[in-house]
Amino acid sequence: MNKTFLVALREYMENIRTKTFWIGIISMPVILVIASIVPILLEKAKDVRKYAVIDESGWLLQAVEEKAAMRDMGKIFAETRHRFRKQDGSLDELAGVLQRVAPVLNDLERPQMEAAARWVYEEAAETAAEEEGGTDLKPLPENTKSKLAAHRTELRQWYSELGAEEANQISSDLDRARFERISLEGPREEIREKYNQMINEEKLFAYFIINENPVETSEGCSYVSNNLTDRDLRQWFGGIASGIIRSQRLDQKNIDSEVARWIQSPLNFKEMKVSKTGDEAEVETKDKIYQMAPVAFVYLLFLSIMIVVSMLLNNTVEEKSNRIIEVLLSSISPIQLMAGKILGIGAMSLTMVGTWVIFFVGIILGLPLMFGAMPDLGLGQIASDPVFLVSFVLYFLLGYLFYSAIIVAIGSVCNSLKEAQNMMTPVTLILIVPIITMMTVAKDPNGLIAKILTYIPPFTPFVMMNRAAGHPHILEYILSTILLGVSTWAAFWAAAKVFRIGVLMTGKPPRPKEILRWLRTSPGSIPVRKES
Amino acid sequence: MNEAIVIENVTKRFGDVVAVNDLSLRVPKGCIYGFLGPNGAGKTTTIRMIMSIFYPDEGTITVLGNPDAERIKDRLGYLPEEKGLYKKMKLGEIVAYFGRLKGMDKQTSKSRAENLLKQYNLGEWIDKKCEALSKGMSQKVQILGTIVHDPELVILDEPFSGLDPVNVEIMREVILQMKREGRTVIFSTHIMEQAEQICDFIFLINKGVKVLDGTLAQVKAGHQRGILLDYDGDLAFLKSNHGIQRINDSGKQAEIFLNEGVDPQQILARLVNNVVIRRFDLREPSLHEIFIRAVGGISDE
Repeated sequence: MNKTFLVALREYMENIRTKTFWIGIISMPVILVIASIVPILLEKAKDVRKYAVIDESGWLLQAVEEKAAMRDMGKIFAETRHRFRKQDGSLDELAGVLQRVAPVLNDLERPQMEAAARWVYEEAAETAAEEEGGTDLKPLPENTKSKLAAHRTELRQWYSELGAEEANQISSDLDRARFERISLEGPREEIREKYNQMINEEKLFAYFIINENPVETSEGCSYVSNNLTDRDLRQWFGGIASGIIRSQRLDQKNIDSEVARWIQSPLNFKEMKVSKTGDEAEVETKDKIYQMAPVAFVYLLFLSIMIVVSMLLNNTVEEKSNRIIEVLLSSISPIQLMAGKILGIGAMSLTMVGTWVIFFVGIILGLPLMFGAMPDLGLGQIASDPVFLVSFVLYFLLGYLFYSAIIVAIGSVCNSLKEAQNMMTPVTLILIVPIITMMTVAKDPNGLIAKILTYIPPFTPFVMMNRAAGHPHILEYILSTILLGVSTWAAFWAAAKVFRIGVLMTGKPPRPKEILRWLRTSPGSIPVRKES
Repeated sequence: MNEAIVIENVTKRFGDVVAVNDLSLRVPKGCIYGFLGPNGAGKTTTIRMIMSIFYPDEGTITVLGNPDAERIKDRLGYLPEEKGLYKKMKLGEIVAYFGRLKGMDKQTSKSRAENLLKQYNLGEWIDKKCEALSKGMSQKVQILGTIVHDPELVILDEPFSGLDPVNVEIMREVILQMKREGRTVIFSTHIMEQAEQICDFIFLINKGVKVLDGTLAQVKAGHQRGILLDYDGDLAFLKSNHGIQRINDSGKQAEIFLNEGVDPQQILARLVNNVVIRRFDLREPSLHEIFIRAVGGISDE
């Protein structure tokens, strides 16, 4: 068997037996899962926000509460219907009144839940909906209406007594589970002082003051709180109140809500693209993914190079300080040793990155399957574009080899990891450039910056992958690949020379000038270092 | 082809320093050849050139009849002065790995590695990692890694350093066994006694220049004979004696060289009166003395 391959095999086997490798392989999915789950958990763990309202208008608070109750009721109905259909006994945990309406809700479709909730609170709901026009509320069948109407009072009563904790058990999504209103009786100024005091004692999160005539003006309306970062409560309450005020204003001026809607609607530009055949086509989600996929590959290449950087550096420096290098050099040539290392560690990093990719693709394909839908992400389209695919594989491998050669050379002249890391700094800085310019290049794939960066070899693989969505000319592909290929060959040639001298050298790492001198020396000679 | 190695007029410079200067040397097949010299004399550089880790600036080196050692690396075994193992590899694996790097196939290298380890009392350690080894043990493993592929020519750079007497004995046995099997062994050392005990040939280098080479007998011939003395007492009184040229005094043993024309009997008589003599042996000079004379620039005349 080829000796280079033997070295590669040994490196590969040794590295996949390390803890670092397995931690690396597992950490990525774990971090991803944690990053997506923790915010949800944090949201759930959030305390119930207690708020108060001083309503001088006398009607707005009630309207807001009714609207909020309606919104919650829609969600509660949906949950009730869901549990009824699951038939796993979870329905029994809900209140009796919900259990009784459950069969009625079961006959409805999912989008009708909101209409049903509306019907519970507003007898004139349907007419109102018709007046507003264009609402996507689906009308309820007459028999459902009468069945629901029988439970109307009971449902309203039950909701008005629903506590935050109980609401949370039905669904953490309910407004009732997040915000709880408290109220004090008494003259306005007195309550206000009490509320202020409660805020200072952190018994109250915030309170609203509504002026006498909110339809007329916002003057005198305020939101008082000491927490200025959490705006959820303000947005929630303010949003509902604004909606009510808006429709009141329209009524006052006798403006048809349909007209209002039309006036407010923005001018929408439909996104189109020109296909290869010159036809116009609508832009779909998969087109956007097609545009984003290159960015993912740029990150992937960056990531795998970063993994390899630490592994290769560690490995080379360790082998050198281990003194095993000379034993190896008595059996194989420095070039074979270097190539074996790069191959072995590269294969290991590909294994790691490959596992992640399989994991991600599995999630992307698997999650929709779990929810029953199967969106066409256009992955097939990417996979079936030969230029896309072949160029990516080529750029990825060449880019990897190019940087590996440089890293191995650096590792070979250093005696400790610390030295090696210092010498790596310029390489790291170079590696950051394609990441910084990534958005610029993605926005203008055939622009001047993108074109210039394409022909700077250390950036070529990143930038060309990045530009793929812009379909660069085939000549650019060929030219940049040839340039990158030649540069990689040159990097290998130089690295081999440095490696050959570096691995047997002790003492402080050479300066760049010295290394340049090494490149000119004949193989097997050891240039002497001039101590400064 | 009776020479394992032929070195002809080889010079190697590191910048302004001449590490090896116009060196010529022939190493016959099937012998044990000792490369001697003080630290920094050029032993390791010479060895590295033989292994084609360095290339000479001038001159040629022919190893096993081949001018390019790169191509016959599989037939050579090399134990460098600075030795190391992969800490995380198991003993059996690493010895087999060295074998495979020398072109052995998977099965052969594995069984040969296991046999060797068992033979040298490391059988229980086959599945242990190298990081668990003591220094002496790991040196043993390294030597086994050097000879696992039955090389025709073995070069050992300072093989005895760091070994306890038991392991030195084992090491010596390994070397002698290889000679019995017809292999050529070169080893370097700066401890003369070791070389004197097992070498057929000796090559002495100092400051990059060959001082002498040849069989042990040839090297010693022509040198002034000396007295080997084992004693108890104090030899200080002798040092002022005009008949004495030099004394290498180790405390319990001394090597005494007399001026020309001085009768050893006279010295013996003086010694008898002053110290307890356990041995008095008039013989060829030790390698140690030859070494000191050559390196220290003291001539016999």
